[in-house]
Amino acid sequence: MTTMLLTESFAERGARERARALLDPQTFRELIGPFERIASPYLAAQGVVPQSDDGTVVARGTIGGVRACVVATDGRFLGGSIGEIGGAKIAGALELARRDAQRGTPTRMVLALDTGGIRLQEANLGILAVSEICDAIVALRELMPVVAVIAGRVGVYGGLSLSTALCSEIIVSEGARVGLNGPDVVETESGIEEMDSSDRPLIWRVTGGRLRLRQGFATELVSDDVPAIRDAIARAFETPNELGPLVAQVFPDPRLARDDFLRAMEIQP
Amino acid sequence: MSASVRGRAWFERLTGKARPVEGLPPSVLAADATIEGHAVRVIAVVPDPSARFERARNGEMGIDEGFGVAAAVNATPAGSAILAIVDVPGQAFGIREEAIGLQRSLAASTQAYIRARRGGHPVLTLVVGKAISGAFLAHGLQGGWIGAIDDAGIEIHVMSEAAVARVTRMERDDLTRVAKEIPATARDIRTFATFGAVDRIFAVSDPDAPGDADIADVVRALAEVLRTPEIGCRNPRDRLDVPAALHTRTLARRVREELQAQWDA
Repeated sequence: MTTMLLTESFAERGARERARALLDPQTFRELIGPFERIASPYLAAQGVVPQSDDGTVVARGTIGGVRACVVATDGRFLGGSIGEIGGAKIAGALELARRDAQRGTPTRMVLALDTGGIRLQEANLGILAVSEICDAIVALRELMPVVAVIAGRVGVYGGLSLSTALCSEIIVSEGARVGLNGPDVVETESGIEEMDSSDRPLIWRVTGGRLRLRQGFATELVSDDVPAIRDAIARAFETPNELGPLVAQVFPDPRLARDDFLRAMEIQP
Repeated sequence: MSASVRGRAWFERLTGKARPVEGLPPSVLAADATIEGHAVRVIAVVPDPSARFERARNGEMGIDEGFGVAAAVNATPAGSAILAIVDVPGQAFGIREEAIGLQRSLAASTQAYIRARRGGHPVLTLVVGKAISGAFLAHGLQGGWIGAIDDAGIEIHVMSEAAVARVTRMERDDLTRVAKEIPATARDIRTFATFGAVDRIFAVSDPDAPGDADIADVVRALAEVLRTPEIGCRNPRDRLDVPAALHTRTLARRVREELQAQWDA
């Protein structure tokens, strides 16, 4: 028990504890907490037990003494998927942060995402929410940094990986993965020769945090350690180091055979 | 799977002899058309059987398509609106794309549409075929006004039915049943429209080869929307307040109300 408490792993925590860990001590205040029971009404009919926070936690507090909001998704609940409620929590928080910035009382916004993407069980509502999240991130970025922290067990895939790429600062851990299509989906759609979703080391080599930093798609690579992540977030707000523009980078000829292409990218096939 | 001809068919009918925008990949069509006196940059993503990425040959949004659409949108002439013609079966599912970082390519076009719209270019969307997942997010769903044709061939979802079955471990028959009971999981345009994101549905004679009357109908509607630029500049958030959404997106509205009430302690 004692050793568990001494570890400062971020990935081992649930969404609520992750949000608490990123805010200054004793400042965590949850909005629309689990006791308000705004849970998805779409899941039971599809054989899934809903969760009273819908897998997304919004918390206010301070970061470095400045007003802040952390939104954390729970990768352990339906893969951290985003449905109507979770999507509205993220979009709504971003909209309020923009309002604050326009009023001259900026709220530091941190998206601690751990998600496989849009929730299939409420797909239409999820995709609409993600279109709102994308718009809100771009709008807030006009006024202040929007910081993403990808340091959970799932990483970020699907519509939310697209949203993440719109952020001004992206902090990734070595254990995190960032990609558009999950390995399962690539295998289903394109075959096991394209991607073997059971080959976990390959998945990390192709979508892991270390590669993303090398490519310049992340501003910082951190270990799975709460103080390290907090320091990286502080740097992101104090001395912003914005990601480059979203333009194509040089890459090998995609007509190369799969393994040759990966080797040309310095990725072991 | 045979590649869809719709995107190109509608693009060609709506742009006519307008000069194509150069420097784009063959799978991204763009031309500066005039619709009843309004300058409109029309953009479509179409199949290219010889595309250099083998997983992006059927009209999918891949590396070249995302960055290509972004380039077309970013270079929209001052004072011009944008019309996205949507017939995208999904994003490209390939390991090369994942290694390169497909999320950034799709983010590039998404960001381009958002900045254009917030910068005063009306962005209109016409869905004529499939509108799946990341591909729709990156090409079409940021439109301030969205129209669609009324056709069973239109499919709006976040994943193919086969992949959904695998990920959710549900049988495909069950998925079809669930789609009838829970509109949020449906794939047809009429159900999608109940959520307030579709402003107009057009009845057409032939979705693959639109006739003169079909085109005239669409052009009349587009011109009407373009007369009020604010319509094409509406943000996705504004869709929550349209009448259709009042009863279908109640939780998205309630969450925002609660957040606002609790934001400052």
